Amino acid sequence: MKSRSCMAVAGFVVTLAFLFPMYAFGAKDKVVIGHPACLSGKYAKAGEQAVGGIKACIDWVNNVHGGVTVDGKKVPLDYKYYDCESKKEGVTSFIERLITVNKVNVVFSAYSSGLTLAGAPVAERYGMVYMDHGGASDRIFQQGFKYIVQTIGPGSKYHEGTLDMIHHIDPKVKKVALAYEDSEFARMTMGGAEKHAKALGFEVVFKRTYPKGVTDLTPLLSDLKTKKPDIVIGGGHYEDGQLFTRQMSDLGIQVKALSLVASVTLPSYYEALGGRLAEGVMGPSHWEYGVTYSAAGAKKEGLDWIGPSQDEFVALFKKAVGKDMIPEYHAAEAGAQVLAYVKAVEMADSIGQDKVRAALGKLKFMSFYGGWDVDDTGMQIGHSMIDMQWQEDGKRVIVWPPEAATGKPIYPKPAF
Amino acid sequence: MGMTGYVDFGYVTFIALGAYGMSLGITYFYQVEGLGIWIVFIGFLLALLLASLSALLEAFIALRLRGAYFAIACIGINEGLRHFIEGAKLWGGSEGLIFSGSLIQAVGRETANQLTTFWADLAVFIIAALAAFLNIHYMRSKIGYALTAVKEDEDAAKVMGVNTTKYKTIAFLTSGLLGASVGAVAWGLKLGYVFPGDVFVIHYTVECIVVVLLGGAGTLLGPVVGGLIYGLSKYWLAIIWPGFQLLIFAPIIIIIIVLFPEGVVGMLKNRVRGTALERYLL
Repeated sequence: MKSRSCMAVAGFVVTLAFLFPMYAFGAKDKVVIGHPACLSGKYAKAGEQAVGGIKACIDWVNNVHGGVTVDGKKVPLDYKYYDCESKKEGVTSFIERLITVNKVNVVFSAYSSGLTLAGAPVAERYGMVYMDHGGASDRIFQQGFKYIVQTIGPGSKYHEGTLDMIHHIDPKVKKVALAYEDSEFARMTMGGAEKHAKALGFEVVFKRTYPKGVTDLTPLLSDLKTKKPDIVIGGGHYEDGQLFTRQMSDLGIQVKALSLVASVTLPSYYEALGGRLAEGVMGPSHWEYGVTYSAAGAKKEGLDWIGPSQDEFVALFKKAVGKDMIPEYHAAEAGAQVLAYVKAVEMADSIGQDKVRAALGKLKFMSFYGGWDVDDTGMQIGHSMIDMQWQEDGKRVIVWPPEAATGKPIYPKPAF
Repeated sequence: MGMTGYVDFGYVTFIALGAYGMSLGITYFYQVEGLGIWIVFIGFLLALLLASLSALLEAFIALRLRGAYFAIACIGINEGLRHFIEGAKLWGGSEGLIFSGSLIQAVGRETANQLTTFWADLAVFIIAALAAFLNIHYMRSKIGYALTAVKEDEDAAKVMGVNTTKYKTIAFLTSGLLGASVGAVAWGLKLGYVFPGDVFVIHYTVECIVVVLLGGAGTLLGPVVGGLIYGLSKYWLAIIWPGFQLLIFAPIIIIIIVLFPEGVVGMLKNRVRGTALERYLL
């Protein structure tokens, strides 16, 4: 009996001896990114892009950068993700699992402002750095969360570049009309546009919302026409963006600039409008294939450069998703977030949550995605939105900001 | 649903109003000095109040209808309320309410962290226990007999003198208050925000119905067993095959429902009928 007890104790000690090093040193053998990804549900398309972008940049960090330097030692970056089905329940339970079971070192948010907000209290409870590449709402950063840091640009800045560009090209233009979908996202972007327009000396001559799923914008656009605006800014989703453009053309509303959020950057927008109606229309985006951010550009602006070039990123992305697919901005921002985390860990020389969070607050750099810098609340202030314009023969031209531009804007916009 | 046989496709309305009640309590009372953690209780009471008003209104409209008409009316109320909130710019309109910051200001960061995680989860278990208690109480009282009569043959029950509208209203109000309680803690308190487009989603109602059908309608253990099968299968499939879980999950659900049309607990009840085990399978 006694010998059996001794054997049991010995067995327990041996097991512990095997397990202890794994537990004690496992965290330093690799740095793990946790992510409740939206692989199914309503954000599945954005989720697939984000996972591809993260995998592409992890590939670059491990195979080109040589890993993450912590305590003078290079350790590989690992990625653990689950499918949250684009649901809040999935986000909260998987973040908890990633932190408590998988012992990840950082959590990336899911997608959208709602899902980002859903995960924030869980990350806060565990004191875990929570990086947001899909929630654009400014209000996330007014809640007093300590560990949240944003990579995607805030919604209120979506149209700042558009207005800056027009003000730069034609300072005499004054009359702006805002017509947009009644949704949380569109209200936030247009609120920011209105504020910025006023700051630049524009006069907002028209401002009205239309409901989600609208099928006829004629009454609203007829009223807008009577105000004779020079610039029209609006939109909300893909379907209403098309309808907006088509009915502006039907009513003969000619303006010097038209910029619509969400729909214009998609190739199907151009195709659905038969090409001609889309020419000259602009749309803001976080990133587009073709941007010209480079190490030389970063040096010129006095910023550090990290990560692959745009073409290297595209090749790594295709390898990661196993498809011949061009990455969209969802992939680019998620990938850039990996680079931001790596920079912060190396700056802090630690994977301690508070040290990494503090480093992220001080970090300024440039990558293929553009600039990166956050304010005290964790909100992104260093990344400029780009403006893309459809030009002759279906060319997608990045027209703003100058450091990312691939061509000159067509201004004023050609008549419908 | 189980006792009356009425399928409420607008059940998520109660969850949404519960979430709004908690949001309103915290958003509008967090600056009142001395209230502290009491704003959570105020939010909970508001959730119950909103759900009661809604349940009575819905009962007035919907409970005079049956079958498909009842189901359509319930969906209509849910959609109508959502569009009313958005269109009338009520409670933040389409922008919703975000109040994590208000909660932190009112009770402090540490308490807010505890409330939104541990206590919000614990409260769901307490509400589930309360729901089970109420269910047992109703099943063993006059209300249970009346509701069973409604389920079997509503017209016959009426002829026999059962005030069907009264008992259906009781059932509606009870389920509404329980739904609002879950919405208040599992959505409002836990997440710290509410957007109308996210919360008035019929998908949640459909999930509730699937859970009840899986476990067995009209039983006490049915929803618990159904919920465990549904929740755990989805959770573990998402861990083992991220991205493919729904593809695997759908056939599993179909197989279970085809094999056990009365639900898992319903099937077990049939098997143990007449034995000593029967009394334990409520």
